[in-house]
Amino acid sequence: MPTARAARSGSWPARLALLPLALTAVVAYLGSILWSLRVSFSASRTFPSDSWVGAAQYLRLFANERWLLSLQNLAVYGVLFVLACLLLGFLLALLIDRQVAGEGVLRAVFLYPYAMSFIASGAVWAWMLNPIQGVEAVGHALGWEAFRFDWIVDPDRVIYAIVIAAVWQAAGLVMALLLAGLRSVDADLWRAARIDGIPTWRIYVSIVIPQLGYSFATAAILLLTAVIKLYDAVVAMTQGGPGTASEVPAKFIMDHLYGRANIALASAASVMLLLTAIALVSPFLYARSRAAARGA
Amino acid sequence: MNRSPLAARVGMAAFLAVAAAFFLLPLYVMLVTSLKPLDELRAGALFAWPLAPTLAPWRTAWSEACTGVACEGVRAGFMNSLAIAVPSTLLAVGLGALNGYALALWRVRGANWLFGLLMVGAFVPGQVMLYPLVRALGTLGLVGSLPGIVLVHVVFSMPLMTLLFRNWYASLPTELFNAARIDGAGFWGVWTRVLLPMSAPMLGVAAIMQVTGVWNDYLLGLVFAGHDFAPMTVQLNNLINTSTGTRQYNVDMAATLLTSLVPLVVYFGSGRWFVRGITAGALKG
Amino acid sequence: MGRASKTTASLLVGLFAGMPIAMPAPPPNTGPAPHAEVLHWWTAGGEAAAVRSLAEAYRDAGGVWSDTAIAGAEQARAVAISRIAGGNPPTAVLFNTSRQFHDLVEQGLLDTVDDVARRNDWERLLPPAILDVVRIRGHYYAAPVNIHMPTWIWYSKAAFTRAGIAQEPRSFEELFAALDRLRAAGLVPLAHGGQPWQDNLVFRAVLANLGGRELYLQVLRDRDARAIHSDAFRRVLLTFKRLHSYVDKGSPGRNWNDATAMLVTARAGVQIMGDWVKAEFATAHQAAGRDYGCIAGFGEHAPYVIQGDAFVFPHSRDPQTVRAQQLLATVVTAPATQLAFSIRKGSIPVRADVDPSSLDLCSQMAVALLRDRSRQLPNDEVFLTPDQNGAMADVLTNYWNRDVPVEQVQQKLVAALAD
Repeated sequence: MPTARAARSGSWPARLALLPLALTAVVAYLGSILWSLRVSFSASRTFPSDSWVGAAQYLRLFANERWLLSLQNLAVYGVLFVLACLLLGFLLALLIDRQVAGEGVLRAVFLYPYAMSFIASGAVWAWMLNPIQGVEAVGHALGWEAFRFDWIVDPDRVIYAIVIAAVWQAAGLVMALLLAGLRSVDADLWRAARIDGIPTWRIYVSIVIPQLGYSFATAAILLLTAVIKLYDAVVAMTQGGPGTASEVPAKFIMDHLYGRANIALASAASVMLLLTAIALVSPFLYARSRAAARGA
Repeated sequence: MNRSPLAARVGMAAFLAVAAAFFLLPLYVMLVTSLKPLDELRAGALFAWPLAPTLAPWRTAWSEACTGVACEGVRAGFMNSLAIAVPSTLLAVGLGALNGYALALWRVRGANWLFGLLMVGAFVPGQVMLYPLVRALGTLGLVGSLPGIVLVHVVFSMPLMTLLFRNWYASLPTELFNAARIDGAGFWGVWTRVLLPMSAPMLGVAAIMQVTGVWNDYLLGLVFAGHDFAPMTVQLNNLINTSTGTRQYNVDMAATLLTSLVPLVVYFGSGRWFVRGITAGALKG
Repeated sequence: MGRASKTTASLLVGLFAGMPIAMPAPPPNTGPAPHAEVLHWWTAGGEAAAVRSLAEAYRDAGGVWSDTAIAGAEQARAVAISRIAGGNPPTAVLFNTSRQFHDLVEQGLLDTVDDVARRNDWERLLPPAILDVVRIRGHYYAAPVNIHMPTWIWYSKAAFTRAGIAQEPRSFEELFAALDRLRAAGLVPLAHGGQPWQDNLVFRAVLANLGGRELYLQVLRDRDARAIHSDAFRRVLLTFKRLHSYVDKGSPGRNWNDATAMLVTARAGVQIMGDWVKAEFATAHQAAGRDYGCIAGFGEHAPYVIQGDAFVFPHSRDPQTVRAQQLLATVVTAPATQLAFSIRKGSIPVRADVDPSSLDLCSQMAVALLRDRSRQLPNDEVFLTPDQNGAMADVLTNYWNRDVPVEQVQQKLVAALAD
């Protein structure tokens, strides 16, 4: 590998080929980051201004209850969403893998929500979770009077309602990734383990799941990118309510960028979100470079 | 597993059935709602089968529903979405494949830094970049034009596309590459003659993800496509999310299903292919 | 919308079309017809019918109307700001008559319509609450279309009958008594859509009616910390919160028109909402005075909160665009257009010289009330920046939805309204 790589270095066609990527990364991504950084130290309102107010916007941001709540929501949502998707996706993949019949249909059923945007499906989720018209009402109609399922109107539980809908959308993708992983486990391993008389669940726990490490990591990364971007589901289902109870950072930024005409505060929030993203990406990039070094 | 295989199988089937019901429930509600006349909606029985099913809401949603002065349904947006999705997909997938190839198999100074920057971009919500991009595109005179919205889609999808292909090319046996080099093929020759033809599964996965991503986009289309190229989702949102007016939920749901039709067909039609592509590509790093 | 009122409206359009002041003569044959791309958020129901009447009037005056409708005021403004910042502005953009567009004026991004304003004597015809917003440093930057009253109290006559309520409530005590009787009759007393802007609208209704004009201005205009800490304001907050105990469980997130539907079907008794709800009643073939009642406020001197819609005109160097803008400003402020528009929208004309006899019962009441200038109160967004207004909305919607001590709310409001 190293010798082959060395022979390939310094090629100008490769540099030329990476020009669009370089332009995108530098102009669009780095440019936006620097622009946000600059505006976040100003007193800009609807449009950027040259004023300089130091860290005032950051102080205001971290005194803002709505922003702090949005961070808390994002953390709760992030943990529950990622874990629930991984667990449900794994179970579905496992059962589909062992079930002989109906694989094609089941796969499509679990994957289709990923093809729909919340602009389309959000309204339906809001109805189904609403206690007056949705699942709770059906429970009451069936005679189960004590039945309660009103998370979406409860300020302390609304974020769980969002998690349900988001898991519905993304669990299928995890299923697909892990199903692919399960299929790539060496058949000889299974045969050998069977001959040794090891029970099926032990084979999964000690042999198969450890081999799925990379699939789990890929799924987790894809899910994490979706966590910070959480916006559509909230807007379509609750618009951040009840009150501001289901507020999330991307919505906070959007509201302040336009509706509240305060791009300085929105930019300060953007910078904080960028730092979060860097904090999440760095260990992953570091692990990669370490793995590459070991491989070489 | 100490239970009998039969009991285990019944248990597994039951779990899958319950899970399938959970996943299908929203689709079911959309479908039955879209087939109900308006007076049945007022009754409020969300899960009930329509008493007098009608296709009228679908007709209205497709070609008659009004947004403002125009009464053209979501039909007009369909062509716009198509006009945006096709070039956005071809460009983004092509560039992603090229980037992945150059990053995985060639050594270019600074490439790792660029890639790291791009990965940060993958985690960042589009809202963060919205305003600076508007200004940048404004100086190029591209706001509200087809090239403008396509360019924006290519920029936003580049992290994921690049990552997918970088992993794919890194997973291929190195001998392929070396053999082609020994035969005297250069940077472009290796890619177009040897590697690209082998990339079909990954090209498929990337195209599926990109088409559905672009088709489902609302925010970028809203801000960058302008008056003449407003995609279907913008029209859908105009229909279902109106701030005032009598809401015809049956028409809303028909419009929702119509708008989701293309991605749904893509996924239902190519589910097997999608999983195979993922198996081949996304798992090795 | 009844067939009769539509006919009346078109008749009136025809009548006024000949008046020099109302409509410009068809443009002379110089160059192509003025072409206006108009960005607005009037997407459905009565709104769409209303904006169609504007488009027709513009066409009749010789212009070409190109429609860009985007659902949701916030989204529409996001697109407008983006397109202006990106150098691709529409010909005209809808805003609320508020400070929302004042940053655009400061940046020199809007054109004035001074000539149109002078020719039509806006200074005399517009209520001060509107004039103060559209006129900045002596220049007119917006063409006002209509006046909405956001804080009406609506009630279903059928629901009141079923609950045995004989008389329209005339004070908050009577309102609460009525709400109690509605609840006792097994109905939802207060139909409310639990979205921040609707929570805030209910708050403004309480502030205007219970707090009165002085307190309203001290809090929203002067942002006076003493007034916010006063007992009178504390009572306003507690009354606001007390209303929350009359909403049903499904309220959070509900659209305002779904709440109105609860009045239409007599499942609920009362809704506090702007006069745009009339379009909903009209669609259900219900009439003011017969099926539903409207209360503008409690008492002889109840304030009339003024909210309005207006078009602004992004700066353009193209003389054709400027011509289209001037024509649009003329057309949308012409008496006949204003009347035809408001009949469909549920609002009232912004001009004082329009004959209200073709408007519905509630609107006629509104026009009469508005003659008394001492009752006119500008909406909060006239005084507050969008940022301050939003910060206040956050505090109030949290108070509405959670258990927060009222003292804490007072403190947070002072902080939210600080500079």
